[in-house]
Amino acid sequence: MRNPTLKAASAALLALAALAACGRDATPEAAPAQNAPGQSAAPATLLVWAMGTDGDNLPKLTSKFEAENPGYKVEVTSIPWQDAAAKFRTAQAGGVTPDIAQVGTTLMGGITDAFQEVPAGTDTSVYFQGPLKSAQVGAQTVGVPWVVDTRVLYYRTDLAKKAGFDGPPKTWDELKAMAKGMQEKAGAKWGIRMSTTPDQELQNSLAFPWSNGGQIVSADGAKWTLNDPAVVDGVKFYQSLFTEKIADPAPDSGAGAAESAFVSGDLGILVAGPGESTALDEAGGDGFKDKYALATFPVQKSGTSFAGGSDLVVFKASKNGPAAWKFVEWLSKPEVQVEWYKISGALPAVQSAWQDPALSGDPRLGVFGEQLKDTNSPPPNATWLQVADVLGQQMEQVVKNGKDPAAALGEAQAAADSIGTGS
Amino acid sequence: MTRRSIVYLGLVVAVVATLLPFIWMLLGSFKTQGEILRNPSGFWPQAPTAGNYATWFTELHLGQFFLNSVVVAAVTVVGNLLFCSMVGYALAKFEFRGKRFIFTLVMITLMVPGVVTFVPLFVLVAKLGLTNTYTALILPFLTSPLGVFMMRQFIADIPDALLEAARIDGAGELRIFARIVLPLCGPPLATLGILTFLGSWNNFLWPLVAAQTQDMYTLPVALSLYSTGQIATQYGLLLAGSVLVIAPIVLVFVFLQRYFTQGIATVGVR
Amino acid sequence: MIAWAFALPFVLLFGAFTFIPLVSSFGMSFTDFHSSDVQTPFAIDFVGLDQYVKLFQTPQFLRSMWTTAYYVIVGIPLTMGVALGLAVALNSGINRFRTAFRTGFYTPVVTSIVAVAVVWRFILQQEGPLNTVLGLVGIDGPDWLNSTTWAMPAMIIMGVWRNMGTLMVIFLAGLQTIPTELDEAARTDGAGPLKRFTSITLPLMRPTLLFGAVLLSVWYLQFFEEPFVMTQGGPLDATLSVSYFAYKQFGFGNYAFASAASYVLFVAIALLSMVMFRALRSKK
Repeated sequence: MRNPTLKAASAALLALAALAACGRDATPEAAPAQNAPGQSAAPATLLVWAMGTDGDNLPKLTSKFEAENPGYKVEVTSIPWQDAAAKFRTAQAGGVTPDIAQVGTTLMGGITDAFQEVPAGTDTSVYFQGPLKSAQVGAQTVGVPWVVDTRVLYYRTDLAKKAGFDGPPKTWDELKAMAKGMQEKAGAKWGIRMSTTPDQELQNSLAFPWSNGGQIVSADGAKWTLNDPAVVDGVKFYQSLFTEKIADPAPDSGAGAAESAFVSGDLGILVAGPGESTALDEAGGDGFKDKYALATFPVQKSGTSFAGGSDLVVFKASKNGPAAWKFVEWLSKPEVQVEWYKISGALPAVQSAWQDPALSGDPRLGVFGEQLKDTNSPPPNATWLQVADVLGQQMEQVVKNGKDPAAALGEAQAAADSIGTGS
Repeated sequence: MTRRSIVYLGLVVAVVATLLPFIWMLLGSFKTQGEILRNPSGFWPQAPTAGNYATWFTELHLGQFFLNSVVVAAVTVVGNLLFCSMVGYALAKFEFRGKRFIFTLVMITLMVPGVVTFVPLFVLVAKLGLTNTYTALILPFLTSPLGVFMMRQFIADIPDALLEAARIDGAGELRIFARIVLPLCGPPLATLGILTFLGSWNNFLWPLVAAQTQDMYTLPVALSLYSTGQIATQYGLLLAGSVLVIAPIVLVFVFLQRYFTQGIATVGVR
Repeated sequence: MIAWAFALPFVLLFGAFTFIPLVSSFGMSFTDFHSSDVQTPFAIDFVGLDQYVKLFQTPQFLRSMWTTAYYVIVGIPLTMGVALGLAVALNSGINRFRTAFRTGFYTPVVTSIVAVAVVWRFILQQEGPLNTVLGLVGIDGPDWLNSTTWAMPAMIIMGVWRNMGTLMVIFLAGLQTIPTELDEAARTDGAGPLKRFTSITLPLMRPTLLFGAVLLSVWYLQFFEEPFVMTQGGPLDATLSVSYFAYKQFGFGNYAFASAASYVLFVAIALLSMVMFRALRSKK
């Protein structure tokens, strides 16, 4: 180190490091990594980070928890969705994490090493299994699903009738035939649109490789398998929607564009999540409700859709581990899950909650309940966000530039290999 | 048509085009979610409603966010005015060890991309135990290289004779600074004050990570909470929020714009 | 002693919150520092220039350098041209509404990017107001933010809109320092407006113009906010700038790599400013 600047720089870095090393009395390692069930939870004030507007509604629920459990206090902070990753990562680096966080399933990747494993004896079979995968790293489970979100088909029944379909498409071939028929016989400009916003395009399109029996990561989470033949074939079908001019490769991504196209009949089928009904009813006005229906994904080898939503996690650095898990368990009670559905409209992650009349009485929700039995999630590997970035670029080329799926996924795989799985 | 009326016509067209986004924002903030989804590019609200604003004031604790923004901006401005003029005075009118070093460093930091210090700064603030305090939101921004640069340039032009005369009259250094130097620094102080206020009011990334609980959020952070929801983005609400973030600063600007534009110009021309 | 007393508050604050982070990030760029190393900082290794070498082998980074250059090369002349046009118009002897016009053109500068992003996303969408206006003159506008070709021009339009006000005010002040007698003299000699502009106004404005160019190049090289709030760097990385690349790498936890990218950008900013300052000085 002859360079004096470099020397000064490294000296200062070490000074900062030393400061960091002795700064906190409770290092994460000192906190219990795992809590025995029933371990006495001392009442505590719990700091919870919730995603987006959920934070505004959550206090309606926490007040009940506080009433049932004297001594406990829950403080909720909302985190903006689009900046949540930056916030979690910096908080982790600074060692200033909250006790509990609601983390979007797509954001789990890369920060799972900051979360405690669920207490031994936690029954994870009560949750939908697809969403649960987002919290499983290898053999460890580092969180539980709280609310779920999955994508289904919204299709115009009137246009489908003109295209010769009385019900939803059951297979990939029928999906294509129906979408084409809507264009040729019912005047739709485009047959199908895979997402309402571009940032959901990648997640939603994973339905095709998954339904074709493909997986993007090996079962033990140690290797990416983006160019697996089943994945490639699934992506080929996806690409054919664009090359055959059934789907617009560059749809208007502006606010409300998907909804207004669907309402006007320019678009026949829209892939979207549970919140979309409200948006469509508002955009379509009176009577539009009867012009469309919901359906689960058509089946190739399976009819697997993307599962989103959010997980609840407890941070390793939390000093209130047992109390935090007590709150998480409370939130997982079926009756609390139903209550939260009524407050926020978010779908329960606990399967038995769906038997409540509030949910089972609604046929549209039934479609989501049905779809949730067959879903998959991207793996929560530390490097998933990076790999998603690479994969997203290649998929965009497949859609927009007609790049050969095998070549694109081959390149994505090579890049993903150099990034690694982080495990 | 005279030449002058052509100039006027051009200016009117240009100013309307410049302000159109604001006009559209204001109109949109009175629309319902349904209307925006049905007709995304419509101009006039079909059924104007103040509901979006009502939501901000009643349900979303706008007052708290507003207060945070005001406190943080006010303290940051005062700190910058004081500390930057002090060091500017030292750099302009004294010879001392380390002077060149300080000035060179200030010039260098003017050119360093903002993202680079972000993470180390956060780790530092976290280790000092300052996260989630006003201190964390304010302290890192109490001085600015641009402010130091501006003040030094301006104070250097104050005649030394003025200061010497005061010294001969027996005035202390603090008195000279407060009674002679500062009063002469009106234009650059006004500019620095307004620039600092703008920077603080519009700052987004730092308050987002530095605040651990919602009651420490500033207005732009709160606004971003509602820009993408898991269920559906509430566009009207978002536009109303944008109006509420922008309105105070535009009002401040319209009243102070005289000093502001003067100050910017002084900096630019010298 | 006295001088240090005046400098002390600044030195302490600047030292703690700017200098230390700056130096540690610089040091970091020669190590393999990752976000997971923060709690165990002694485990990191010095890797010399490896991060920098890797940087120049990363296609995404090289692409981001082109994107930033595009923004700078097209954006600076455009912003300066618009600002100069406005300043000249405002200085052309009009008196009524002058303040109102100046305030109007300056307003975009003072507004929060998070807030204006919302409305700009509407403006730039396929069926949005901008394309409606273009449609009136027979142009079929693109889906700006979703097109790899048009996303950058859209960012540049936004950049011009947000920055022309500052430059206009600076140029206006510069124009007012030009003695009116010179203009009058040229007028009596029979020089037309264009001739007077090119042979009197422009040469005398040279220092002010250069100052404006330096300011803009420091800002535009750090191109970050517009893509951050509008496109997240997309589509297909078309608007991913060097700053944004660094921000994303910080987000992935690759702190050393991100720092290295930031310092490459710093060198570019420093070089460009130095060249321009030299030009500025030599003309004075």
